[in-house]
Amino acid sequence: MNQPFPISKLGTNAVDVDIRNVDLSYGTNHVLKGIDLHIRPGEFFAFLGPSGCGKTTLLRLIAGFNQADGGEVLVGGRDVSRLPPWKRDVGMVFQSYALWPHMTVRRNVAFGLEERKVPRSEIDRRVAAALELVGLAHLADRRPSQLSGGQQQRVAVARTIAIEPKVLLLDEPLSNLDAKMRVQVRRELRDLQQRLGLTTIFVTHDQEEANTICDRIAVMNDGVVQQVGTPMELYEKPANLFVANFLGTANILPGRVVHEGGERFFDIDGGVRLPIPAQVVVPEGAKLVFRPQHASLAGHGAGDVLLPGIIVHSEFLGSTLRYVVRIGAAEVSIDTPFHSGETLHQPGTSVEISLSLRSALWLAA
Amino acid sequence: MLRHSVATAALIGTALFTGAAFAQSGKVTVVTSFSKDVTDPFKQAFEKAHPGVTLDVQNRNTNAGVKFLEETKANNQVDIFWASAPDAFEVLKSKSLLQKHKPKAEGIPDKIGSYPINDPENLYSGFAASGYGIMWNDRYAKANKLPEPKDWQDLAKPVYFDHVAMAAPSRSGTTHLTIETILQGEGWEQGWRTLKEVSGNFRQITERSFGVPEAVNSGQVGFGIVIDFFAFSAQASGFPVKFVYPTVTTIVPANVAVVANAPNKAGAEAFVDYLVSPAGQEVLLEPSIRRLPVNPAVYAKAPADYPNPFKDPSLGARVKFDVNVSEKRTNVVDVLYDQTVTFQLDALKAATKAIHDAEAAIAKKDNADAKALVKEARDLVAVMPVTEQQASSSEITGAFTGGKEKGARQAELEQQWAAFAKERYQQAQAKAEQALKLAR
Amino acid sequence: MAGATTAGRAHAPSVSSRFMRLSATPGQIALALGITVFLVLFLIVPVGTVIYVAFTEKGTGEFTLVNFLDFARTDLFIRSFWNSVYVSAMSVVVASIFALPLAYITTRFEFRGAMLIQTLGFLPLIMPPFVGAVAMLLLFGRNGTVNLLLDEWFGVKIPFMEGLNGVIFVQAVHYFPFILINLSTALRNIDRSMEEAAQNLGSSGFRLFHRIVFPLAMPGYIAGASLVFVKVFDDLATPLLLNVKDMLAPQAYLRVTSIGIADPMGYVISVVLICMSILAMWISARAMRGKDYATVQRGGGGLAKRTMRPWESALAYATVLLILLLVLAPHIGLLLLSFATIWSFSPLPDAFTLAHYGRVFGESFVYIKNTLLYASIAGLIDVVLGIAIAYLVLRTKLIGREWLDWAATAALAIPGVVLGIGYLRTFYGVQLPDGTPLATLWITIVLALAIRRLPYALRACYAALQQISVSLEEAAENLGATKMRTVRRVVLPLMAGGILAGFVTSFATAAVELSATLMLVQSNADAPLAYGLYVFMQSAAGRGPGAALGVIAVLLVALCTFASHMIIEKSQKAKGASR
Repeated sequence: MNQPFPISKLGTNAVDVDIRNVDLSYGTNHVLKGIDLHIRPGEFFAFLGPSGCGKTTLLRLIAGFNQADGGEVLVGGRDVSRLPPWKRDVGMVFQSYALWPHMTVRRNVAFGLEERKVPRSEIDRRVAAALELVGLAHLADRRPSQLSGGQQQRVAVARTIAIEPKVLLLDEPLSNLDAKMRVQVRRELRDLQQRLGLTTIFVTHDQEEANTICDRIAVMNDGVVQQVGTPMELYEKPANLFVANFLGTANILPGRVVHEGGERFFDIDGGVRLPIPAQVVVPEGAKLVFRPQHASLAGHGAGDVLLPGIIVHSEFLGSTLRYVVRIGAAEVSIDTPFHSGETLHQPGTSVEISLSLRSALWLAA
Repeated sequence: MLRHSVATAALIGTALFTGAAFAQSGKVTVVTSFSKDVTDPFKQAFEKAHPGVTLDVQNRNTNAGVKFLEETKANNQVDIFWASAPDAFEVLKSKSLLQKHKPKAEGIPDKIGSYPINDPENLYSGFAASGYGIMWNDRYAKANKLPEPKDWQDLAKPVYFDHVAMAAPSRSGTTHLTIETILQGEGWEQGWRTLKEVSGNFRQITERSFGVPEAVNSGQVGFGIVIDFFAFSAQASGFPVKFVYPTVTTIVPANVAVVANAPNKAGAEAFVDYLVSPAGQEVLLEPSIRRLPVNPAVYAKAPADYPNPFKDPSLGARVKFDVNVSEKRTNVVDVLYDQTVTFQLDALKAATKAIHDAEAAIAKKDNADAKALVKEARDLVAVMPVTEQQASSSEITGAFTGGKEKGARQAELEQQWAAFAKERYQQAQAKAEQALKLAR
Repeated sequence: MAGATTAGRAHAPSVSSRFMRLSATPGQIALALGITVFLVLFLIVPVGTVIYVAFTEKGTGEFTLVNFLDFARTDLFIRSFWNSVYVSAMSVVVASIFALPLAYITTRFEFRGAMLIQTLGFLPLIMPPFVGAVAMLLLFGRNGTVNLLLDEWFGVKIPFMEGLNGVIFVQAVHYFPFILINLSTALRNIDRSMEEAAQNLGSSGFRLFHRIVFPLAMPGYIAGASLVFVKVFDDLATPLLLNVKDMLAPQAYLRVTSIGIADPMGYVISVVLICMSILAMWISARAMRGKDYATVQRGGGGLAKRTMRPWESALAYATVLLILLLVLAPHIGLLLLSFATIWSFSPLPDAFTLAHYGRVFGESFVYIKNTLLYASIAGLIDVVLGIAIAYLVLRTKLIGREWLDWAATAALAIPGVVLGIGYLRTFYGVQLPDGTPLATLWITIVLALAIRRLPYALRACYAALQQISVSLEEAAENLGATKMRTVRRVVLPLMAGGILAGFVTSFATAAVELSATLMLVQSNADAPLAYGLYVFMQSAAGRGPGAALGVIAVLLVALCTFASHMIIEKSQKAKGASR
């Protein structure tokens, strides 16, 4: 990037996006339910969730392709809810890239500027700069059909940022790329976003993608935002079972709380009992949740409680060993570091599991 | 795959289709240009008179009918050719597609008007006649404040400019006869002059005979040069049209012939005999048909105002008509008309309009020079690229009949004639416009 | 059974694989030969026997091109040629003006009655001969309804129907459905993200349409427009009925049917017509090369249908109504005419009656029955041939396969009367065992209709097959289906919509075909509706019944069309659901 690119100025005046109590239904199908989100200026933000959770609908709503039944969307403090898509200045990169086959790469990128009646010389300069930015200046006169998937994706990005949008929306931008390209392109996207300082919203169903490039994530399910936070917060402190399960592997032990002699115990379904520390708040109907690395086979680490179990399955994963252990009626995964010379426990072996209750969570629903 | 669909077709066929019999005994197949209004009463009457015989009528226009007989002669399935235009029969005759039959009818004279009723070699026979005349839409005439015409020459008057229609003689055998009659009656040069003066007022020259009455009936054109029965049947249907025979009317016969190698020769001859028998002749008097019988005795049964060419001298009798002359130059006359009038109508109309305007100006303010110019213009319009002798010469006629010898090609001649006419129309228009300036 | 499509990717460049690459499976070769025989027998030979005259010298019968020189030297023909070019081009323009708003509004917005409009938009193709032009004149002619009223109110007349104007107007009305159908399909196949991307970048309204939507729909538009151009260029009935003779097709007709004249020029013009048509189709094929914009992708699903604001909706309905009123004018006029006692030089008929229908019902049942039979068999033959030719051209590497396409398409340009005469010449000599000539069987009419309407069905099948990804077939073959079974179980079901569209177009237009039919009808009992109409329209008293018969024809064909539209819509929905 030797050439100064005009867009880089934008970083200083990046805007925030405020989504307030947005509701949307298609007939009887309630797709978005009271969404409240605040995306900070210059933030790389992800909507993460399984397919059908409403994340793409929400993104399209910000772009103006869906109309909310209630609530509003503010971009940089301005309510854009009633504006048509072409007046929002919200750049979107489509999942399919949506490059127009009848135009060259250059014409594709110039399109938005032409629509804005930017002077020709300025258009040429900015198109060149945008293509330079994505490293495709040498392919400007090709047709989209003559480009590879990764190149098409970069043209789509260049086309969008050429108009210097206030916000950049990315709709599953990596889904049409192969695994290797995906890793490379997501780094490029992150770099680009950092350089431009552009408020960016990214839609994905892949937690790894979201974790690696986003500042904050909104986890969505069933039209509701489940939790908002940094990738680590979400991993460490999931607000509910859904979040816990969707981000990384979570062991979930169902059971019930029993009071006996002034003390509380958790009876795991299948007959295993463990004490509940005094200060811990256990919501009604909660389940015990812990990550595989928060427990170990007895003798390998210091836990708070010991639970009896039987090894069902064991895997050697290189730096760790993973055991699937039956505790009561449930099966849990347990990761222990691999030490040289160690042997795997065979399935059927009875073991004791040492669990750190400080790291464990009690989550209802 | 094809076999499959044919099989399907056959299946559907048996379900829907009762199956057409191909060689039914006692079936007489007729190819005709006459409309249902004419053929239906004859079919009924004939089938009643000859029980067991059915008349299968195939409706085609005259040209298509002739073409059809020509193309199918190798395995002919048609018994009767039945149409108006004598020239079509002449063509069939020259190609030996007709069969000799002298109808067993009595009391039929040799001529109707000045036109011979039967072919001298009995290859075809006249069974009815019709007169040509002028038909007009009354509402149209009143709305445009146009006077009622009485004679051919009336239609050349400026007041009728762009209000008249006629079928192209090359497309309508009866119109051809009318043109030929005018040419023979008035002479080659004067005849063409009259024709072009009238034609200069044309709004359209139609490709089908029926196109003219159709346009007049619907009011798209005011006046049409038509065969009388078109007008009479339109009146019978309630259209606001009127008709007049000009003082000199051409009488054109309608003919019937037995086709060579007719599959049902006896039936065919019976039909021809029936047509010219008194019973058949009477059918002609029906209002929907209304043609002139060739048997003078039948007129006794006709309504009082029925035109009778055998008594009324204005109906055809005053016209001379030489069949031989006509026959020789048929194609030449048709092509001449097409090339100098039909396809040059815009140029001819422009010249005609300019002449009318100039004459109107002169009528208000006399000017000898202008008068001379208008006369020149009229002469330019009237002049023809070929003389009467040339029109009948074998060099020219040969170009149209595809003779065995090499010679002038039709397209070459046409281009010459068209260019000739167009150039003169443009000159005429220029002269008339000049005259108009002088007379102002 | 290694097919040509897969053989192209064979790894070992052995002699046998090279052979496979050039050739095809025996089944495909047999199919190609079958079609070739059919086309040669029912198209090339009959037409050849007629038009070879164009290349012979007068008198000697030797081969010559002098007749073409004559053509070039004759002012009338040159004028006719340019008039034909002008009228065809202008008809495309006017037809586009009719078709664009209808296609756009019905595919792009939530529009009540979109399907009805698509069906009504198809109706003009079913313009019965004679009566259609008569009805148009009664409405728009110099003394038609509109001009009589204009004259009364404002003292002006608009020359809608004068000369070339009239031909352009009527032709545009008659053939605009070709553009409507093709353009609508193309619009439906544009991925919605294509449009959204443009909106996202700040484009909207007309600019969006003009820069993104229309260019993407261009292949469909070109396909429709070229068909309109060729049909108008080759149509003779409309100019003749409007008394315009200085165009090429009417000139050819007038000359071919002149009795007693042995002039090659009619056939010379026919050759020119055929060449021009092939040229036009070739140019359009060239223009479309490399522009396969079938853009429906994953997550796509056609243009988003937008709900209109009230004022937009009012404007859209007004536009649609006005266009429908114009393009359905012939049918409206026809309907009025069929109920009219007398309609002459007046804005509306003098009085109304049902008598015409009474007369027609009794007499014309046989015509209706024949028409449905002939048109449906012809349509069937057409789609079978259409599918086969499209498959051979698009999915095999057979040498010369495009020639099948060109030959079948050339039928578009052959004047019906030339084909009719050719059939008589070729098949009258062929006798059945009982001595009746082959040409007297009604199946001859069906074959002529099938040949004349083959290009329509072929285009529809071609487009349908073009949109099916080869990978779907490869998947089937990979799972063990033979070529035959792949076609039956995968290709045909996916083409169903296009096949039906092709059938409907062939069927509907064959039902009102006249020019070839008139030559081939051998007896009243075998005659189709168009012949019945012709017979009625030759007399003053027959005008009303003729119109009534025309209305019945239009209604019948429209009903069949509507039913097919329903089926297409249904299958489209089913396919959309499974996506």
